[in-house]
Amino acid sequence: MIKKRFGDRVLDIVVYFMLALFAASTLLPFANVFAKSVSAEWAVISGKVGLLPVDFQLDTMKFVVTSSPFLKSLTVSVTITIVGTILCMLLTAVTAYPLSKRHLPGIGFILLLFVFTMLFSGGMIPNYLLIRQLGLMDSLWSLILPALVGVFNLLVIKSYYENLPESLEEAAKLEGAGNLRILFSIIFPLSGPVLATISLFYAVYFWNDFIGPMLYINTPALKPLQLYLRDIVMDADTVQMGINRSVDDMMNITPEGIRAATVIASTVPILLVYPYLQKYFIKGVLIGSVKG
Amino acid sequence: MELSTTKTVKKTVPIRWGEKRRIFRNNLDMYMLLVPGLLFLVIFKYVPMYGIIIAFQDFNIFDGIMGSAWVGMENFIKLTHSDEFRQVFRNTLLISVYKIVLLFPLPILIALLLNEARRMWFKRTVQTIIYLPHFLSWVIISGLFVNILATSGGIVNQIITSLGGEPISFLLSNDWFRSVLVFTAGWKETGWNAIIFIAAIAGIDQDQYESAAMDGASRLQQMWYITIPGIMTTIVLIFILRIGGLLDAGTEQILTMYNPVVYETSDVIGTYVYRIGLGKMDYSFSTAVGLFNSVIGFILVISGNKLSKRYTGRSIW
Repeated sequence: MIKKRFGDRVLDIVVYFMLALFAASTLLPFANVFAKSVSAEWAVISGKVGLLPVDFQLDTMKFVVTSSPFLKSLTVSVTITIVGTILCMLLTAVTAYPLSKRHLPGIGFILLLFVFTMLFSGGMIPNYLLIRQLGLMDSLWSLILPALVGVFNLLVIKSYYENLPESLEEAAKLEGAGNLRILFSIIFPLSGPVLATISLFYAVYFWNDFIGPMLYINTPALKPLQLYLRDIVMDADTVQMGINRSVDDMMNITPEGIRAATVIASTVPILLVYPYLQKYFIKGVLIGSVKG
Repeated sequence: MELSTTKTVKKTVPIRWGEKRRIFRNNLDMYMLLVPGLLFLVIFKYVPMYGIIIAFQDFNIFDGIMGSAWVGMENFIKLTHSDEFRQVFRNTLLISVYKIVLLFPLPILIALLLNEARRMWFKRTVQTIIYLPHFLSWVIISGLFVNILATSGGIVNQIITSLGGEPISFLLSNDWFRSVLVFTAGWKETGWNAIIFIAAIAGIDQDQYESAAMDGASRLQQMWYITIPGIMTTIVLIFILRIGGLLDAGTEQILTMYNPVVYETSDVIGTYVYRIGLGKMDYSFSTAVGLFNSVIGFILVISGNKLSKRYTGRSIW
């Protein structure tokens, strides 16, 4: 048994080769676009940039990340993500608690009301008209309020609460603690992992949200990063971007380089939190799939 | 006679009610916790559902839902006769079916391969790399691919021309655009979608492999006779779920990638609703298209869940 069979050794080679190929095909687009963003103007224009930077320079990157529309949209995205995630977590974590008490009258029905919205929704236009009616157009609240409770997230937290030992709650009740008190001083502290996971779900949602801003935000100063990036990628109005720049600054800069650098700069924030994302998201996905 | 009936009613129904009311009153603070969530649910989920009735109106934004004229099924009749909609529906189904046929097996393959890779560092590295695109927005992914697929200076076309070919304008070609959509969708989600199968494989009883190895089964045979049957329910479940989403051909992806030149092959229901509703301000017709979409989607998900319950004993809820 120690000696490997021929067939198994061939299998090994095929396995490692295919996985490496797959990982490489994921990395190569990033490598190319990153290389473009830090290569010299002449190399970008003449198409000499492959997977490695040619004639390394940081001017384009500096230009992109110090340009005021980029910084503004970055601020907008950070604001939405932080405020949105906090509000969503408060509302979702609180709402999930009564929903985890299935024996209480009426809870089953209310749960059904929530679940039904996962299967059927008003759709894009009725939502848009509602936001208009509420006077939320061109307000960052239009991106946060409609997302306050994600039903999937609600169900994940609910099923986590359901699996907590009941004895602690009962003991607290005997001491005369109300349900609100129990929720904040017993349930929340015990639910750290699931709350962390769901916070990340919300944060990634807000950070990446594109349809919301596309529908509701027109003011340039309120455009989140995703919307700004789309504008740059689709029609880089680089002349306008560079209008207040001195000629020196523009030396090494091409529209293509700017596009590449904007894409890379927008990817960095996600890369920074990626280790946490990977760890907690997988947990969350698996909780959700076992008990939805 | 009358008196006795009321008596029996009083004896049965009110007692149950009284019991419920007692529980309700004792847990009033618990129910209060539901108020903000319910308020959200009504305003942002159920009010838009009520808004669907504009699909049966000739809705005018100044007159509102109350003041707009009713037109009955007119918008739906228009929809069934519209060549444009027929094209959009066709595009939706085609792109979705391509994605399912070509992309559904990939995560399973990746999971099987990862299961066979025994070097932990290699496995970890591959997983870390292939999960990454899932966390990036479609705007970023589109930005990446617009860059590498560009006709001037894009690396893919550089390779094509250096091999003696003609540059291809992938994003402006009706022959190529759907392939780009399918490829980028696979590029973004294949790694991530493998997780559920990796977890399923991890749940298979290890003793089976040991006894199979004792009997002289090769690893390929073990994969074929133990691993694949072991994750079959998961495969069926995920496949049914995927069919439930048939009408979502990737609205966000297409919105970030397409342009008028390729509407012909890539305008799908989701993007069509947006173009007609917000571009042409035809709110009523657009809502009718959206409703058509939601109803079919609803039926697909419900029947998928029924099927799954019957054949795998597992369901989404």
